[in-house]
Amino acid sequence: MGRRDRDVRISLQTLRVLDAFLENPADELAGADVHKCSGLASGTLYPILLRLESAGWFTSRWESIDPSSAGRPRRRLYRLTARGLAQAAEVFASFGRGVPA
Amino acid sequence: MNGYDLLAALPAAAWSEICLRRLDELAIRLIEHAARHTSPALSQRLQEEWLADLAARAGRLSRLRLAAGCWWAANVIAREYAVTGLAVAGPNKAVAYAPPQAPGFLSPRTVALVLIACLHLALIYFLSIGVANRTAKAPPPPIVVLRAQNPNRTLPPPPPLPPKFAHPKIDTIEPDIPIEVPAETQGPQNVPVDRSQQPNTSATPPKVDRVIGGPGKGFPNTADYYPDASRRLGEKGVASVQVCVDASGRLTSDPAITHSSGNSRLDAGALTLAKAGSGHYRPTIEDGRAVGSCFPFRIRFEFRD
Repeated sequence: MGRRDRDVRISLQTLRVLDAFLENPADELAGADVHKCSGLASGTLYPILLRLESAGWFTSRWESIDPSSAGRPRRRLYRLTARGLAQAAEVFASFGRGVPA
Repeated sequence: MNGYDLLAALPAAAWSEICLRRLDELAIRLIEHAARHTSPALSQRLQEEWLADLAARAGRLSRLRLAAGCWWAANVIAREYAVTGLAVAGPNKAVAYAPPQAPGFLSPRTVALVLIACLHLALIYFLSIGVANRTAKAPPPPIVVLRAQNPNRTLPPPPPLPPKFAHPKIDTIEPDIPIEVPAETQGPQNVPVDRSQQPNTSATPPKVDRVIGGPGKGFPNTADYYPDASRRLGEKGVASVQVCVDASGRLTSDPAITHSSGNSRLDAGALTLAKAGSGHYRPTIEDGRAVGSCFPFRIRFEFRD
């Protein structure tokens, strides 16, 4: 585990965010989607997303839509990286829970 | 027109719409302010991201909670991170950690507590001025005044009055045979009375309109003349005092006990009170004129809670 991994604070809220992504690791989730899955408040959720993105566990991009035609603003989508998936699997394995293959 | 008149003039539906629109604007402004509070490189990204999530939220209260949470998140992010280029960074852009910045004048927790207190105060204010009541109650239907279409039209004639019934005249029939009534059955009213032997009622004196006097305005309070010894011993009673006063309500002679209370201390107190009330007696009125007179009155010594 590198230096950046040591800076990721694995709290209960962080585990809930990771759990939301581990339901389907290939999916890209916006902050609102993670809120629905984890139930975390936005004041807790967004710092965790940024923290995990800074640590390299997540990657993010803007949704590729035309806001004028879609009728809504574009969202920021987060996705687990391969490294993030491995780290999350390791964390959950330490708690005695497996992750989907 | 003050604020209460404005509140009363606006209908409930308009009020609800205004309040809800204000909540939406408050949420957006809160998010914009929170995003600006982060680093310049992050503020644009976070503002767009949070506004997009705000648009995805259903329910104004949920959106307001999201905005408040974003405000909290901005404080946390600004304290924990000093990120360069993350707003437009791709997935592989390096992100550097920075030590937490020194807390400002107000910590985020303090600011959050102040914000919560302000929200509560605002809620209490709106409840006190009756916004909830105005928005909950439907406005009364407007009063429509209908004008008469034809003011000169003739009214229908009133219904006829009920017929008057005259009392039937009863003719009495005079008996043809004279009836003699015995003298003893006629009663004493027919006996002639000698008026000269009756007592002359016109000799009685003319009735005088007389109102007996008594303690008047400014008469001392009984409690002030309650003997101290009697007060300590719990003695109580009623004494009748005879006083003679002139037309101005002043005593013309010393008062006297006409009916003792059964206790010498209370009797002495009653006499002292009666003397102290000189000048405050209401004189006797005869034919509308104050005259000097003597009259008794009662003084009651008793304990009151």
